[in-house]
Amino acid sequence: MKLIKLASITKKLAVGALAAFLLIFLPFHMGMNMCILRQDGGEWYRNVCHFMGTNYIVKCFEIILLLCIVCHIVITFVLWLENRAARPVGYAVSQKSKTHTGSKWMIYTGGIIFVFLCIHFVDFYFAKTGLTKGKYVAKVEKVDKAFQQKAQALQQGQMDEKQMQALQKQYMAIQSIPAEKRTQDFKYFVNLTKEDVNTYCGEDFKDYEPDFYNMAIDKFHNPLYVLIYLLAFIILGIHLFHGVVSVFQTYGLMNEKYAKAIHWLAVIYAIVIPLGFAMVPIHVIALF
Amino acid sequence: MNLTLKIWRQENAKAKGHFETYKLNDISPECSFLEMLDILNEQLINDNIAHPVCFDNDCREGICGMCGLYINGRPHGPDDGVTTCQLHMRRFHDGDTITIEPWRARPFPVIKDLVVDRSAFDKIIQEGGYTSATTGGVPDANAIPIPKRKADEAMDSASCIGCGACVAACKNASAMLFVSGKVSQYTLLPQGKPEAAIRVKRMVKKMDELGFGSCTNTFACEAECPKQLKRTNIARLNREFICAKVCSDEK
Repeated sequence: MKLIKLASITKKLAVGALAAFLLIFLPFHMGMNMCILRQDGGEWYRNVCHFMGTNYIVKCFEIILLLCIVCHIVITFVLWLENRAARPVGYAVSQKSKTHTGSKWMIYTGGIIFVFLCIHFVDFYFAKTGLTKGKYVAKVEKVDKAFQQKAQALQQGQMDEKQMQALQKQYMAIQSIPAEKRTQDFKYFVNLTKEDVNTYCGEDFKDYEPDFYNMAIDKFHNPLYVLIYLLAFIILGIHLFHGVVSVFQTYGLMNEKYAKAIHWLAVIYAIVIPLGFAMVPIHVIALF
Repeated sequence: MNLTLKIWRQENAKAKGHFETYKLNDISPECSFLEMLDILNEQLINDNIAHPVCFDNDCREGICGMCGLYINGRPHGPDDGVTTCQLHMRRFHDGDTITIEPWRARPFPVIKDLVVDRSAFDKIIQEGGYTSATTGGVPDANAIPIPKRKADEAMDSASCIGCGACVAACKNASAMLFVSGKVSQYTLLPQGKPEAAIRVKRMVKKMDELGFGSCTNTFACEAECPKQLKRTNIARLNREFICAKVCSDEK
């Protein structure tokens, strides 16, 4: 019974290729996250998020990444079903053989990571795509420009009473903006809700972006949330250790000469990446 | 030694099996595992308790690959690098309960009790586990000089006795270690090179057809192989498979 009619090794190669893409992606993601660790009020992180959110090449990669995750999950799940079918009657005594760390739990650690990814997507990615409410950031310079344009229109008498009132209201609001809704250097309006965007930037202002920095700080104030993230990273580490070794093995790049080096590469990768990710929630809960 | 044995009994391939418990007393620690089963069978026959327990065995010196019992959660029992016939009762303790099961895999159906049909392996071999140049007399042993290291490597891969412990141990009932050993022994030597691509394609195809699982790099096979075939064979199989798919025009 084969659910996907390809050679078993071909399916493994596909899983491996998708995994390799994700393995390369993770250090980038970690690097971006670690910008939060700089004590600069989130300036670096905001710049990175702006780049990631607006660059077209990045957007293409985002689609590829999502497809990769979906395909990786689908093919591994199909393989798991096929592998289960290969032993219809199980053993009475569970297996006692010495096996590779994490390999027997890949489908389970993978499942937990999938659940975590869902939480993570709802928290951050959905806010970006506008499916859930998030926090937003807008560049003061751009708000200013939009405001100036409207002010010009006002001078030329192209505005009705209602628009005039809105503009006045916006001006008043900006004058009394609380400190937590702007950066110290007054370059950005931050931590804005959707209503705040309307209040401070004007109803028709479109040039705002998700404020991941403040969303992250907000989320990680909750110790339970931090705990969920940290647990997920430990599970991720176990998954990654076997994943890295497996990519090399499946692509036939394993031999006696490199086995040790690949083992240590996997160990280092599986510790450094989750640790790098974990530093952000730990940093937030410790310092904010 | 006094032992309690929990043994899988199954009348035939179609019958529903079950575990039967037998008490066995005064077993010598120097007795081999299969001799212990012989003693059990003698008792079962003499005391008219039940039909003897069926199990595969032949050479009883670890080279034929016939014996193979899943003992307390490990194929060929608790020792590394031995077959069931090489296992001795001194590895157990007085009063132990020993659970003995047949190999479990869809391509290895149980025929009776602890005997499974391993002809699936033969079918894989038939697909390419050979070199097809058969004309002429027996070639001189050293007609083609081969470096010692390569010859040793090929010999290590060829040491597979086809017992099926790799399949039995694998959580996916995958035959990758078996197939990789067979593919490697030919690939490493010049005689096997011309048919390398077609061999690996056909053997992998057959392996999949027969319903073996895929490799998740758990390496239980390597831990349980009585001939200690290495996981690097599987890496070589993957490599050969990629090469055959990408670089070869063999259909």
